Parts: sequence; structure tokens; C-alpha cells
Amino acid sequence: MIETLLFWTCCLSAIAGALLAATVRNLFHAALLLGLSLVGVAGLYLFLEAQWLACVQVVVYVGGILVLVLFATLFSSDVMGALQRTPLWLRAVGTLGALLAGAVAVRLAQTAMQAAHRLEAARGTTAVADTIDGDSTATIGDLLTSAWLVPFLAAGLLLTVALVAAVATVQRFRQPSEATPNG
Amino acid sequence: MADFGAEFGPGALTSYLVVAAVLFTAGTLAMSTRRNAIGVLIGLELMLNAAALQFAAYGRFRQGAPDPQGQTAAVFVVVAAAAEAAVALALLFAVYRTSKDVDLERTRELRS
Repeated sequence: MIETLLFWTCCLSAIAGALLAATVRNLFHAALLLGLSLVGVAGLYLFLEAQWLACVQVVVYVGGILVLVLFATLFSSDVMGALQRTPLWLRAVGTLGALLAGAVAVRLAQTAMQAAHRLEAARGTTAVADTIDGDSTATIGDLLTSAWLVPFLAAGLLLTVALVAAVATVQRFRQPSEATPNG
Repeated sequence: MADFGAEFGPGALTSYLVVAAVLFTAGTLAMSTRRNAIGVLIGLELMLNAAALQFAAYGRFRQGAPDPQGQTAAVFVVVAAAAEAAVALALLFAVYRTSKDVDLERTRELRS
């Protein structure tokens, strides 16, 4: 009972946070609502028995990315005031596009479910998930250092390049008045 | 809709897919209607999050036995999101320095 209640709380915070983050006028509030959505998804990961992934979600997304976004929000101009109004036509087109994307996502999900049901019928087994024995963290560690080693190294390279590129970008576009006299 | 709990409970793939679809829709909405670059970035994060949630959900409800490779793939989505956020915000700062504004409608170049 309590588990079901927690599950629906996570679903609701993920969905409500996302929808409000996409629509509220104030960008600072939007960033905070994004955090609510991210925490909700972290809760859903726990229900998927992905404990480590839930930790990563909280540490990297909420602790890293969200803080960066909040920092940028406060840094840029026009934070709390009248943020640039979206024209009505753009809002209409955007809503239409978003609904279309949602419809495609639902259709894809339907197709996947139908395929699962067909497989189920063909094999005569049920698609009800067995529980992963205990914690999946150790399994993920093994996977990252064996089958997923190349993507793992590539991800490390990607992060390094992204960091260097970020620093280089900010350096390069420094205004002349801010530049150091000999650099 | 015979059994709501079995169809949409914590133990059903459908519920996770519905949440992911809504997250993706909200992300698309934010990306297409926001004029502020940070708003667009928020939408992008929502869409990536929806993708990661789907990876984890499909891995968990895989035919036969749960497959931790779904979670592993989701971790890489998170890594890509982190790298993307770092670069996007650096670009944002660069744009802000040259034009004192992050309105995508008015930003045309990075040269000062």
C-alpha cells in the first residue's frame, strides 16, 4: 500500500514538474520544477530496482546539471522580471509539435508492448518481471568493465573534451576589455 | 482496463512508458516555445531524462529476465546530458558576454 502511494507520488512529481517546467513564465521557477521532475524520475528508478542509477540521477542531474542551470539562470539577465514573452503563434505551433511528439512516443510504446505480448504468446512465458537478485550495482560494475568498456572509455573522453571545450569557449569569447594585458 | 493496478502500477511497464512520454512531450514543448536559451536547455534535459527512463524500464521488464544493460545504457545518457549541459552553458556565457542577452530570436552570432 505504502509502496503504491510512493510510486504515484514519484509519477506525479515527475509529470507535474516536467509540465510546469515547460510552461511557467519565470525561468528560475522552471529550473526548480525541473529539479522536482528529476527527483521524481530518481524515485521511479528505485522502483525499477536501479538503485545505483537513482544515485547517479540525484548526484549528476540534481547535484550537477541542475545547479549549473540555476547558476546560469541567476547569472543571465531578466531572471525574475518579464521574461521574453513567447508569441501566441509560436506557442500554438510548439504545443502542436509537442503533442505530436507525445503521440509518437505513445505509439512506439504501444508497438513495443504488442511485440512483447506476441513474444510472450510465442514462448508461452509471462512478461512479468522477475526481481533482480538483490542489488544490481555489482552487475553494472562488471558490465562497465567488460562488455561496455569501450563506451565507458569514450564517455570519459567525451567528458574531458566537453570540459576543455567549455573552458576554451568561455576564454575565446572574453571581451577585449576583460582580457589580461599580456594574454 | 480490467485491473487498474496491474496495468498501471509499479510493476507494469506501461506506467513508466506513460511517464516517459509525458516527460518527452513537456521537453519538446519547452524546446519549441521557449525563447530563452536556458529554457531550451531545460527542455533538452527533460527529453534526455525521458530517454534514460525508457532504457531503464525496458531493461527491467525485458522478456525472460531483467537485464541490467538497460540501466547501463541509461547511465551513458546521463553522462551525455552532463557533457551537453557543460558545453551549452559555456556557449550561453559566451553569447551573454557578446550580446548581454540569451534570447535565441535575437542571437545571430558569437563574434563580438
